[in-house]
Amino acid sequence: MTIHAGDEIPRPGLDDRERELAPAVVTSWRLSAALGWILPAVVALMLGFVLGDGWGWLVLAVLAALVVFSVVFYPPMRYRRWRWQLTELAIELRYGVLVRTQETVPYFRIQQIDITAGPVDRLLELASLQVTSASASGSATLPGIAAEDAPRVRAELLARAATAVAEHPGDLRDAV
Amino acid sequence: MPTETGTPSAGTAGSPRDFREPRRLHPASVVLGVPLAQAVQALIFPFVATLAAPRWFTLFVLFSVALVGGVVRFFDWRMRTFSFDGEVLRVDHGVLSRNHRSLDVSRIQQVEIQRGAIQRVFGLAAIRVETAGSASEPEVDLRVLPEADAVALRSAVRVSQARLTGRAPGAAPSDDDPTAAAEQEVLRVPMRHVILASVTGARLLVLPAVIGGALQFIGNQIGPFVDEAIEQMVELGLAGETPTLVGPDWRLIAVGVALGLVLSVAAAVVVGVLRDGNFHIRQVDEDLHVSRGLLSTRDSVVPLRRIQKVEIKRNWARRVLGYATVRIRSAGGSTGGEGRVTVPLLPNDEVDRLLGCLLPNVDGVPDLHAHPPAALRRAFFRWLRPAVLLIAAAHLLPEVIAFLDTDLVATAQPYTFLLLPINAVLAVIEYRQLAHGATPLVVAARSGALSISTDISPVVKVQALTSRRSFFQRRLGLTTLVAHVAGPGALVTVLDAGRDDAARLHTRLTEHAASPIPVVPEREDGQPGADGERDGVGVISQPATTG
Repeated sequence: MTIHAGDEIPRPGLDDRERELAPAVVTSWRLSAALGWILPAVVALMLGFVLGDGWGWLVLAVLAALVVFSVVFYPPMRYRRWRWQLTELAIELRYGVLVRTQETVPYFRIQQIDITAGPVDRLLELASLQVTSASASGSATLPGIAAEDAPRVRAELLARAATAVAEHPGDLRDAV
Repeated sequence: MPTETGTPSAGTAGSPRDFREPRRLHPASVVLGVPLAQAVQALIFPFVATLAAPRWFTLFVLFSVALVGGVVRFFDWRMRTFSFDGEVLRVDHGVLSRNHRSLDVSRIQQVEIQRGAIQRVFGLAAIRVETAGSASEPEVDLRVLPEADAVALRSAVRVSQARLTGRAPGAAPSDDDPTAAAEQEVLRVPMRHVILASVTGARLLVLPAVIGGALQFIGNQIGPFVDEAIEQMVELGLAGETPTLVGPDWRLIAVGVALGLVLSVAAAVVVGVLRDGNFHIRQVDEDLHVSRGLLSTRDSVVPLRRIQKVEIKRNWARRVLGYATVRIRSAGGSTGGEGRVTVPLLPNDEVDRLLGCLLPNVDGVPDLHAHPPAALRRAFFRWLRPAVLLIAAAHLLPEVIAFLDTDLVATAQPYTFLLLPINAVLAVIEYRQLAHGATPLVVAARSGALSISTDISPVVKVQALTSRRSFFQRRLGLTTLVAHVAGPGALVTVLDAGRDDAARLHTRLTEHAASPIPVVPEREDGQPGADGERDGVGVISQPATTG
């Protein structure tokens, strides 16, 4: 199940089923991949001219293959692999095509939640939500959820974090 | 300038233990408060810039810089005040733009008192307070204070922290007498261990430089000899009779090399002894006091409940001799490597005892389980891949790039193949060291080939978890699990564990991270708490909190 931008009925709370990202994130990934290829493409074109007929064509062919793969085929693969879930104890992320990654940040450890949206994301009505713990490296980022859902996800996470903290007495509330 | 509420008393005046009123640092901070490196930097630029000018001009410029610096420092001292009311540590400073900093005592991770050599002569000290966070500077750095004030301020912070956490400090110290606390020496590193540590440690990295110097010396000795040999060969014609040669003075070379070695070892020992001499750890109530240094001393306080991770490191030299170094990390310690607390050297059989003092209820490094044989293949891959790439580069690049096609590269080429057996052996060593273990209290992971590190974190300190499985790991049924704890770069990485083991550990650590209730394993029936069933077997111990 996906949280679609069209689901207008606000749910009372988010349950613990597996969720996907907003489908529009594929477009966002495609755009950023295409933008990222501009500089390598210029270099490769110049290299192609320098190297001349034989090697030059090979360089350009390799470049074209890489661009097509990373813009056309890779983003949908990445999207299909992305799942996130609010389990009983933690927010869990599972993603990755080549390297499968599972990230878990328990609600109790949440220190900060950021919602960010770049210009492309805002055009596509997307937002990314970053959950940070006291560890510099242990954070979880949802790279593209529907912008109108983001505040609700954040509210839900904050509520769960508050509950998790309230369950513990005095000096155990300190998560560091 | 804003008007202060009440005139701040000078650092030397007033009751030494009352920090309620804002007070200034010691007047000597005008001079001693500047880090030496900064002072040198400030003076070296005008010095270099006016080198061409007459000497009196250089002196004049230097004098002006010192004067301006002194005036700035004076006003900085005038306007810098601090106070501590039992809950909040406040520091106000700034001449033109005022800066007010309040630091809640519950956020303090580590307090450190530092005395430089000059400061010790005048009975002064600097105090630095660290909070959780990865800033590059300590949150509060008060330099310079009278030593008694620094110690009193630290005691006041400690007493407040103890009151806040509800842990009544051992011998019921009141505010009047904070020194009356349960005190116990945990560890003292004898001088011979400090010396051994500097001889086997990273400070010997200067050795290559010394060897380089020695080689140059040898070169200077041999050079004339080689020249002579070539001359003779040319004169006699290469096919002629054996040239008669006069050898270089080998005795001189041997003396030079020996001298260089002795000097570098001596330098390492002197630096190590000055830095780590008199290293001892005391436990005062629930805090660790770590002191070290002969000339300039450093005295850190780490609350036991703030310890995030303990690293036991053994490089090859220390492994042979049966010693280890132990590094203690709290979430603070922002000042890079210096901020950590590192025990310079510890015999292997004392590691478990120290660990028991650092991590409550832990009686040593937990049993570690080796990783599946498939991890050996990954270790080979990791070590042989760079070797193969290097060999390929050494053999293929000269073919393509003309200027690399020299005799030197040609002679070096066969030797690159030596990397294969060397790296293969290192891969086997690394695999044999790979292991992890978990008890209801701690998670531990061991890794490394030349320098082997065992990282141990209390499970209640785990903040978040990441499991990774690359394409090859999936084929081999392996997972790399990372447990993140607070503090800069603090991770416990379980490399290439079996898939099911890693999944179980991920789930179990998630439960601990979500509910950090300390678990005390049951010992009455001689059955320590079994892995994985902390609620069933472990007795949950909660300090009695009032309200």
